[in-house]
Amino acid sequence: MKKITILSFVFFSIISFSQEDKEKIKGNFFGGFESNSQWYTNDKDRGINHPEDPFRSNNYLNANYNYGKWTAGVQGEGYLPNALLNYNPKYEKANVATYYLNYRSSKINATAGYFYEQFGSGLLLRSWEDRSLGINNALRGGKIKYTPTDNLSFTALYGRQRTGFDIANGDVFGFNSEINLFRMLKIESSDLSLGFSYVGRKETTTIINPNFNELTNGFAGRLNFSKNSFYFSAEYNFKTEDGILYDSKTVYNDFVKPGSALLLNGGYSKKGFGLDVTLRRLENMSFYSEREPEVFSPEKTSIYYNDRLMNFVPSLTKQHHFNLANIYVYQAQARVSLDFDNGIAKAGEIGGQIDIYYDFPKETALGGKYGTKISANFSNWNNLKGDYNLFPPEYKTDFLGAGEKYFSDFNLEINKKFSKKFSSTFAFINQYYNNRLITGAANTVIKANILAAEFDYNLSKGRAAKLAIEHMWADNDRKNWIAMLFEYNINTRFSVFASDMYNYGYDKDANLIDHETDPFDIHFYNFGGAYKKGSTRFAINYGRQRGGLVCAGGVCRFVPPSTGLGMSITTSFN
Amino acid sequence: MNKFLLFILFTANISLAQQDFPKITLKNLNNQNINTSDFNKNDRLYVYSFWATWCAPCIQELESISDVYDDWKSELDLEIIAVATDDSRTEKRVKPMINGKGWEYTFLLDTNQDLKRKLSIANIPYLVVVKNGKIVYIQNGHTPGAEDELLETLKGL
Repeated sequence: MKKITILSFVFFSIISFSQEDKEKIKGNFFGGFESNSQWYTNDKDRGINHPEDPFRSNNYLNANYNYGKWTAGVQGEGYLPNALLNYNPKYEKANVATYYLNYRSSKINATAGYFYEQFGSGLLLRSWEDRSLGINNALRGGKIKYTPTDNLSFTALYGRQRTGFDIANGDVFGFNSEINLFRMLKIESSDLSLGFSYVGRKETTTIINPNFNELTNGFAGRLNFSKNSFYFSAEYNFKTEDGILYDSKTVYNDFVKPGSALLLNGGYSKKGFGLDVTLRRLENMSFYSEREPEVFSPEKTSIYYNDRLMNFVPSLTKQHHFNLANIYVYQAQARVSLDFDNGIAKAGEIGGQIDIYYDFPKETALGGKYGTKISANFSNWNNLKGDYNLFPPEYKTDFLGAGEKYFSDFNLEINKKFSKKFSSTFAFINQYYNNRLITGAANTVIKANILAAEFDYNLSKGRAAKLAIEHMWADNDRKNWIAMLFEYNINTRFSVFASDMYNYGYDKDANLIDHETDPFDIHFYNFGGAYKKGSTRFAINYGRQRGGLVCAGGVCRFVPPSTGLGMSITTSFN
Repeated sequence: MNKFLLFILFTANISLAQQDFPKITLKNLNNQNINTSDFNKNDRLYVYSFWATWCAPCIQELESISDVYDDWKSELDLEIIAVATDDSRTEKRVKPMINGKGWEYTFLLDTNQDLKRKLSIANIPYLVVVKNGKIVYIQNGHTPGAEDELLETLKGL
């Protein structure tokens, strides 16, 4: 209690620090604080008992000090008394999480300590932080970036990845270069830039006479071209032979393969119109700083918590904002899986997506007085075509050729503004989700159609109301859903919301996806409010969280079904 | 451990100083390197709007400002810099979406969220107004229809 008193005293004294005092001190202080907590309650209707510690919270305090060319910073994290449910069990209690010292001049940018970095699109290396997913795979070591001219840059780095409050056993080496070729040659009418990366991961293995090197090498070449309204980019990544996980937990010495990723993107866009096409082929591109995961329980390994992940393989599908469109979410298939029990054989994915944006001009029949905007997106992903052998594990893929389908999503969104105060969005979404092949959990394929509408009405002085209605027709799993959301901004600082999701038309004996399934006939209600001012936001909500995937940036985290009171505080001090 | 947190808070306390906007190099839509310190016209208001192609309220905010942007510019010396925090999942969608919407802002790509992290931004949309290199105003979240109020605030900066 005494500690809390002292802490709150210090905290409030920061807030009340006078402007006059600030002027006296040179240098620059910046940072932020984030706290997400949940009071889990029992829910008889859902048969949920709260965990032993019903109150749990994740807290992050980040503080940095800059003086001239030097910046130093530290991040403390506290999971008190425990982390929110289903976060990586390695996030325990409070401790220093990351720290760094950075020197920056016009040509040199050097960091010692923990750092974040991404080469190209991240298919070989990306270290980043996503608190909602519990990902922080910052590298601890050193990084130096040299930029001799505006058109050239070189980065070299060494480090070990953060895992919980510890670091992983594998050494990571990286080199990256970027060249703006046309600008270097003073060709002004178009742009051509090139990139080359190397990423090495060295980890000792306990396997005697391994059929693979302890050092796995990754190479990538990239090219970016644009001229007027047209643009094109290509990227090829190659990973040398490495042992593959057989039962998803241990490396099998007789199953050694290289990996590769090809990414192509092109498009055409001008005012009022945009077209974009992306194609990607992945084969055996999972890349972790330790080959074998840490096993926490039969179902849960460090891979399940996205721990020690070195690269970023996002699912290239539309990230929907409507709730029901986020029930069947695709996850990119980078890993090789030959699952004897479920008869699943896959080595990657092949597919693509197309986006179209069109803005009907104002004062035309379809544009109306305030304009109409449409966007359409279509994505389709399949397994790699090839010959797969479950035992002994072996596969041989075709370079071009699609195997069984994982997922597709066709969606159309229309945005119409009727008056200065009233606007609306209508969406149609058609999804195909092959759960057997994607997660291997249930032998279920789902076809779903979703219709959604959102209406926004703005009153004066920051008062605004939003109503969203959604319906999903699904032919399998839990079948149909209906969802509603009402949001009201009382003024520019206060807002409140209420929402509900309800599932109907189900067959109780159906082959369901979730292993921690909710019972049927449940209203997933939620209500709450938020207050914001400056950089500070405080939000509170009470309700039911459906068990399932929470995704950000194409990476997902499984959250268990829960009921309770949630609170979140975020602020930054600059 | 609590000693450590206490230490950070004390450090924060004594060093809470000026409000410089971070100097950082990001790419623009033409793949050129742009440093935030290049936005340095004397007394001009630089409004950094952090958004993403998947963030509906962000798009709503940029849409409504887009309708009045010309009026704002006639009243104030101001430039809106829309910083896309899209990672490589959705980054490719930025360019066609901007053109499809017909927005006329200055655009930057913060693909690995370096600038967002430096400003400790937890949620978007998030506006940071910078004048003469200093942060003079922050607004987090978007309130539909509050553009007039934002304009009044900007006039007072």
